[in-house]
Amino acid sequence: MTSSYRPNLMPNVMLLGDSGVGKTCILMRFRDGLFLCGNFISTVGVDFRTKVVSVDNTKVKLQIWDTAGQERFRSVTHAYYRDAHALLLLYDVTNKTSFDNIRAWLGEIREYAQDDVVIMLLGNKADCGSERAVRREEGERLAREYNVAFMETSAKSGQNVELAFVAVARELKFRQNGQQDCNKFNVQDYVREQTQKSQCPPCTT
Amino acid sequence: MSSTVEVEPGAASESILVTTESFENFEQMSSSLEEIKNTNAISQSEESNDNTHNEHFEETSNSLESCNEDDNDLEHNKEWTSKRKHVFVLSSAGKPIYSRYGNEDRLAWLFGVMQTLVSFVQYDDDCIKSIHAGDTHFVFLVKKPLILVAVSKTQESVFQLSSQLNYVFNQITSMLTLTRLNKIYEQRQNYDLRRLLSGVERLIDHLIDFSETEPSFTLGANLVFAILLANNKLITLVRMKKYCLHPADLHLIFNLVQSSESFKNSESWTPLCLPRFDPSGFLYGHVSYLSEDCQACLLLLTVERDVFFTLSEAKQRIVEKLRRGNCLEAINESLNTKDETCNGAGFPELRHYLYKCKSTAQFYQPKISPPYTLTRQHLIDIYKRAHQRLHCNTRPLKLVFERSPKEAILAWDTKGFELYVVFEPLIDTTSAISLIGSLLNWIKKGGKAFGNEVK
Repeated sequence: MTSSYRPNLMPNVMLLGDSGVGKTCILMRFRDGLFLCGNFISTVGVDFRTKVVSVDNTKVKLQIWDTAGQERFRSVTHAYYRDAHALLLLYDVTNKTSFDNIRAWLGEIREYAQDDVVIMLLGNKADCGSERAVRREEGERLAREYNVAFMETSAKSGQNVELAFVAVARELKFRQNGQQDCNKFNVQDYVREQTQKSQCPPCTT
Repeated sequence: MSSTVEVEPGAASESILVTTESFENFEQMSSSLEEIKNTNAISQSEESNDNTHNEHFEETSNSLESCNEDDNDLEHNKEWTSKRKHVFVLSSAGKPIYSRYGNEDRLAWLFGVMQTLVSFVQYDDDCIKSIHAGDTHFVFLVKKPLILVAVSKTQESVFQLSSQLNYVFNQITSMLTLTRLNKIYEQRQNYDLRRLLSGVERLIDHLIDFSETEPSFTLGANLVFAILLANNKLITLVRMKKYCLHPADLHLIFNLVQSSESFKNSESWTPLCLPRFDPSGFLYGHVSYLSEDCQACLLLLTVERDVFFTLSEAKQRIVEKLRRGNCLEAINESLNTKDETCNGAGFPELRHYLYKCKSTAQFYQPKISPPYTLTRQHLIDIYKRAHQRLHCNTRPLKLVFERSPKEAILAWDTKGFELYVVFEPLIDTTSAISLIGSLLNWIKKGGKAFGNEVK
C-alpha cells in the first residue's frame, strides 16, 4: 500500500489573511476535527503543523504554516513565502475589510511567493447567516479576476474545510507528476465540481 | 564574585544573569545583534544546540502567578474611577495607544491632558516625574517616542511604578523593536500605533497583572538563548558564552509564553525583540512544548530569520536526548512537587519569606500558607513596601524591623543577599533574629529550596 509513497511529496502550504478571519480555526478543524468556539487564540508569528492526506493512494504530507495576520509579523511571514507551494488565502465573509484587503494580500503574494504557487481563496465563516457582509458572488468574481480557485468554508460546521486542503494536495501531486501542462487536472474545475456535489457539509463530526 | 560565595547561600560561582538593579537606559544594552551576526554567521544554530550538550546548565525556580481582572468601560462609571491602578500609553503627540481599563478612544480628552502636562514641563527643559494628590500617585515615564502614565492608589513607590511602566514600554518594544518605533514616529508624528499593536493589549494587560503579583519583578531577580520553562518556572537555560539576558527580558518571555495559547498546539516561529539585550532588532524564536507527556516549553532563540527547520531538528534531538537521560520524567516530577510551606520546612514561626541571592539574581519563596492564602495581594504589598524601605534613594536602609497589628516584617539587605521575612505580630526581636540565623543556615546547607542548583 505504501508503494506509491513519495517522501518528496511534502509540500509547504501557507495560511494567509487578516487577523481574525479564522486561519487557525480552519487548520484545527482540518487537522483535529475540532472547533474552538468563542475562544480567540491569536497566533504569534508562525505556527507549524503537518498532516498526511491520501490522494489516489499517494500519501501527501502537508507541511502547514499558520501565520499571524497582524501587520507586525509580515517580515517573518515574508521569509517563508518563497518556500510555499500552496497558499490558502482567507477572508471573513462577515468582515468586509478583510475581503477588501485580499487585493493587497495578492499583491504581496506576487511580490514574495514563487510564480507557480497554487493559490486558493477561501471565504470563511460561511455559516454566519444574517451577519454576512460579503456575498458569495463577490468572492467568485474576485477569484476569477485573479484566476485563482475559490470556495466558501466554515470552520464551525466543517463545510469545505477538508476539500480545500485535499484539492491543494491533489493539484500539487499532479504537478509533481508533470501533468500540469496537459490539463489533466485543474484545481478550479475540481473545486467547482466538488463543491456542487456536497452542498451539505460532510458529516465528519 | 567567588569571594562572596561563602556569604550567600544559594550562590553560584558565576552568574548567567545580568544582576543590575537599574531599570533605566537602553543605552546600556548588554549586546548587539549585529555583533552576534558577524561573529557567528556560520554556526549560530549549531552553537545553541552544542551548548545544550555540554555547558552551562543553570537552574532557577521562580513561581509566577497572575490574576486577571475584569475589564471595564465608561469613564464616569464608579467602577472605572475606583480601579487601584490605571495605566495609559500615548504617543509624544498625544495619540492614545493603550489604556488598562476602558476604551482609549473614549478617553481622548484624558490623553490630551496627560500630553499637555508633559509638554508644559518639557517647555522649561525639565521632565515631569510624578504628581501626588492624597493617596493617589500620578507617575509619568517619558520615553521617546512614547509617554507612559500610571495612576495608582496602591502603596507602591514612584520608583516601583515607573519600573512597571518601563516593563510596559519594553513589551511594546519587544513587539516592534525600538528602531522601528522611532522610525515610525520620525516619518509620521501622528501615527496611530494601535494598528501595529493589535493583539498586544492582551500582553500588556497580562504583564501589568503579572508585575503586580509577582515578587521577582520587585526584586529584579532572575537571564538567554535556549530556555526551558514550565508553569512559569525557569527549568534551565543555555547561552552563548559571551551573552547574558537581563531578568526584565526573561519576564517578557514568561509573559509571552503564558499568555499565548497558540504555542500549545504546534511548533511556532516568532520574532521577538528583547529590549535589554538589544532594542534595535529581532531575535527569532522557535517555541514548542517538549512532548505530549512533558509540558515544559522550550525556546530556541537565534538571529537568523529562516532557520526554522534547523531549530526544529535541534529540538527533536534535544527531546530525544532528554528522554534517553530520563530527564523528562525528572522534569515532570519536579513540576508536580509543590514548594514547601514554612511550616513544612520546619519553620513554623515564619509565615512567609523571600530570599534573593544577588550574585545569581535568583530568588526563592516558600509556598504561601495561611493567613495569606486568600490575601496574596496583601503579602505582596508588604514586600513591596519593605523593598522600597531598603532601596529608597534618599535614605536606603540595611535592616528594617516593622511591627503592625497584623504582622511583623524583617527586611535585610547585605552584600550577598536580600531577605524579607514575615512573622506573627507579637514576635520579639531576639527570637526573630535567631530564627533568621537558622533559616540562613538551612538555605546554606542546601535545604530543599536550593537542592536543585546543579544537576
